[in-house]
Amino acid sequence: MTDGAVYALETRGLSREFGGFFAVNSVNFRLARNSMHAVIGPNGAGKTTLFNLLTKYLPPSAGTILHDGHDVTRLSMPAMAKRSVVRSFQISAVFAGLTVRENVELALLPEHGLAWNLLGRISRHRGVLDRADALLARFGLSEYAETMAGSLSYGRKRVLELATTLALEPKVLLLDEPMAGLGHEDIGRVTQLIREAGRGRTVLLVEHNMNVVAELADTITVMVRGEVLAEGSYAEVSSRADVMAAYTGQAHA
Amino acid sequence: MTTILGVPSAVLYGQLLLGLINGAFYAMLSLGLAVIFGMMNIVNFAHGAQYMMGAMGAWFLLNYLGIGYWWALILAPLAVGAIGIVIEMLLLRRLYKLDHLYGMLLTFGLALMVQGMFSDWFGSSGQPYSIPQALMGGSHLGFMFLPNYRAWVIAASVVICLGTWYVVERTKLGAYLRAATENPMLVQAFGIRVPRMITLTYGAGVALAALAGVLAAPIYQVSPLMGADLLIVVFAVVVIGGMGSIMGSILTGFLVGIIEGLTKAFYPEASTTVVFVVMAVVLLIRPAGLFGSKPEAAQGQPQSSLSAPAPSARTQSLIFLTVAACLAAAPIIVYPGFMMKAMIFALFACAFNLVAGYGRLVSFGHAMFLGSAGYVCGHVAKIWGLPPELAILAGTATAAVLGFVSGWLAIRRSGIYFAMVTLAFAQMVYFVALQAPFTGGEDGLQAIPRGMLFGLIDLSRPANLYTFVLAIFLGGFFLIMRLVGSPFGRVLKAISDHDARAQSLGFDTSRYKLVAFTLSAALAGLAGSTKAIVSQIASLTDVHWSMSGEVLLMTFLGGVGTLYGPLVGAFIVVAMQNYLAAFGQWVTVIHGLIFVVCVLAFRRGIVGELIEFWHRRRRAPAATQAVLRKVAVATKE
Repeated sequence: MTDGAVYALETRGLSREFGGFFAVNSVNFRLARNSMHAVIGPNGAGKTTLFNLLTKYLPPSAGTILHDGHDVTRLSMPAMAKRSVVRSFQISAVFAGLTVRENVELALLPEHGLAWNLLGRISRHRGVLDRADALLARFGLSEYAETMAGSLSYGRKRVLELATTLALEPKVLLLDEPMAGLGHEDIGRVTQLIREAGRGRTVLLVEHNMNVVAELADTITVMVRGEVLAEGSYAEVSSRADVMAAYTGQAHA
Repeated sequence: MTTILGVPSAVLYGQLLLGLINGAFYAMLSLGLAVIFGMMNIVNFAHGAQYMMGAMGAWFLLNYLGIGYWWALILAPLAVGAIGIVIEMLLLRRLYKLDHLYGMLLTFGLALMVQGMFSDWFGSSGQPYSIPQALMGGSHLGFMFLPNYRAWVIAASVVICLGTWYVVERTKLGAYLRAATENPMLVQAFGIRVPRMITLTYGAGVALAALAGVLAAPIYQVSPLMGADLLIVVFAVVVIGGMGSIMGSILTGFLVGIIEGLTKAFYPEASTTVVFVVMAVVLLIRPAGLFGSKPEAAQGQPQSSLSAPAPSARTQSLIFLTVAACLAAAPIIVYPGFMMKAMIFALFACAFNLVAGYGRLVSFGHAMFLGSAGYVCGHVAKIWGLPPELAILAGTATAAVLGFVSGWLAIRRSGIYFAMVTLAFAQMVYFVALQAPFTGGEDGLQAIPRGMLFGLIDLSRPANLYTFVLAIFLGGFFLIMRLVGSPFGRVLKAISDHDARAQSLGFDTSRYKLVAFTLSAALAGLAGSTKAIVSQIASLTDVHWSMSGEVLLMTFLGGVGTLYGPLVGAFIVVAMQNYLAAFGQWVTVIHGLIFVVCVLAFRRGIVGELIEFWHRRRRAPAATQAVLRKVAVATKE
């Protein structure tokens, strides 16, 4: 097997049934390495279900999921994170009871061998502190370092979530509607952060905002009724009549 | 005489009938719990007390007003249901937007208050209630004798269960109810008055419990605590069946009753624990319960966590040293016996807080660790004659193992289910302690020797004993402080905030929960072992559910999730026990009242509120300045 034939993530006949309804129906999906890949589709197309299957948040009803050519269908979410596949959540997921700095430090613990340190103090570990500082600075969060994450604005929570996710330096980054709930002023900024984050890693995002998809993604998969309808570049996909039909009424640039 | 598998057939049928009767009550009570939970997302911990009120009501009607059984069957449920409506309107209504655990805590407080008041009034011993004239006697069925009253109870309960099922699942009213469960806002928008519907549902659920109570009065003794122990079994039934379906509750209730009856016939020693064993097996195979299709109910607003960051390491050490110095000096002015008792309970509460406060795993069964460690420690010291350090080690290790096993099963569920599962396991441990040969049953283990610590220090000397308890408390507290402040503590807190997110960052969250639970159990065991050495007694009190309630009380009163809250709470509760002992049962009523007030008015607890107050005051000047500036600008314009 040559390296080029192996995908960062690949599904074969992947299905998920909810009481007789197939939200995802026998999908063969491939996420090429180092690509910036977007999954789009009208509401109820099965994007989020596919995403939750890929990130092991839901178990599949049938089919297999491969990561770097290895079968990972039965692995748990933490096990995927250990394989450097990390996801974000649609409803911004920060640890509300921890400060901004503590949120970022948390993600750095496993790498520094501190995940199971029961009696030590994080403040004694210069390496964690320095990297947390660097991440906070890079994401413009330094001045909020000691703020409780729960009291941040929605946009900043998103940025914090991204910072926490990237603290793991994941090889594969899965973003669930990163722009959901963001105001205009934040969208440009988060788009820029995702673009930067995408350098040298594989990114999959589920997104409704077509401007963002057009700007970021090199490959786009269109899902309709649990199945893949089309795949290609933005220009290819947006010129297809069936895609337009599925999307009628949906605003796009 | 015919026998079946070595058991006389008459005995078998008799036990089966008894099982069916018990099952009828499990079914009626778990049905009411399911209806209330489905509508309001509240686990009605007062359900047992309301059942008892039904039976008591019937007893009072008969003995004071001369009103007989048939009228009681109508009047008692109506009266208790009306009380339920008042409770909903005054208290429960305020909790709907909060974490479901608060509903459980508040109704637990109500149950304590009601049981305490009735115990004071009625005495805690049972009173008989005679079977109504019309249902006296019985009939020979050939293979067994069937008392008429028992036949009536089974028939009535089946009718009640199926009637409730019919109303909820097959009528228009039931359709509204189910719709309001799914989406109250939408149903409200259709012009249906959802709040009133909720009130009436609670009233109906409570009336159902009281009706079961009246039915039970002639079978079981009428006593203030008749509902408490029954409710714990019903919780186990609820975990086995899952609260998602009405029919599921009914079937599981009868099924569990029959299993119990069969066990009583074939292996009577296990009859009190078999329900909990079944629960454990179901948790292993089908964690959601036999009929549980509904996913774990979404959590409401999480507990009001502190909006203040933790103080610096230096401040923390300073506070710790001050507290240590105060505790060391305290015997000069305070009775040392009180101090030792308070410190032991404080360690117990701090251990509980490790999981309840930082891991948000609120256990309702922590007494099992305190009590079982006490028994083992006492046994090792008294019967085996080993020195106190080994006895304490053995007790602590026992609690740790028990914590590991029960935690391994319990963390499959979260929130209120976790609370019910831990409560049920603790009840199982209680029954084992009641029956096991080495615990001394009702008397407990007495005259446990204090012995020579490390063969050098004579613990029977008061000064030595005090120093020893102080050292154990400070050591345990210091360990907890370090755990909370460590990377592990950080992960634990993160998991309690957002479990799935912690998993996505690569943390195996159930392992963290299990380690935290085991550590908490071990430290609770350390407290229990020390208690056995100090008090020289290991008794059933320490494994009883009321002890699990007490540690909840200490922790929530002092401040759950704060380092020193449990310490403060423990001192207050122990002081109350010491100085209010003359009030007898009213202490229980006060405990219940504190729960209610805590849940309604100050959920952060004493220490939590103090921290909040402190931080608000520090922030206040800046805010006031800003407001003044705004006012100045506004007046200029």
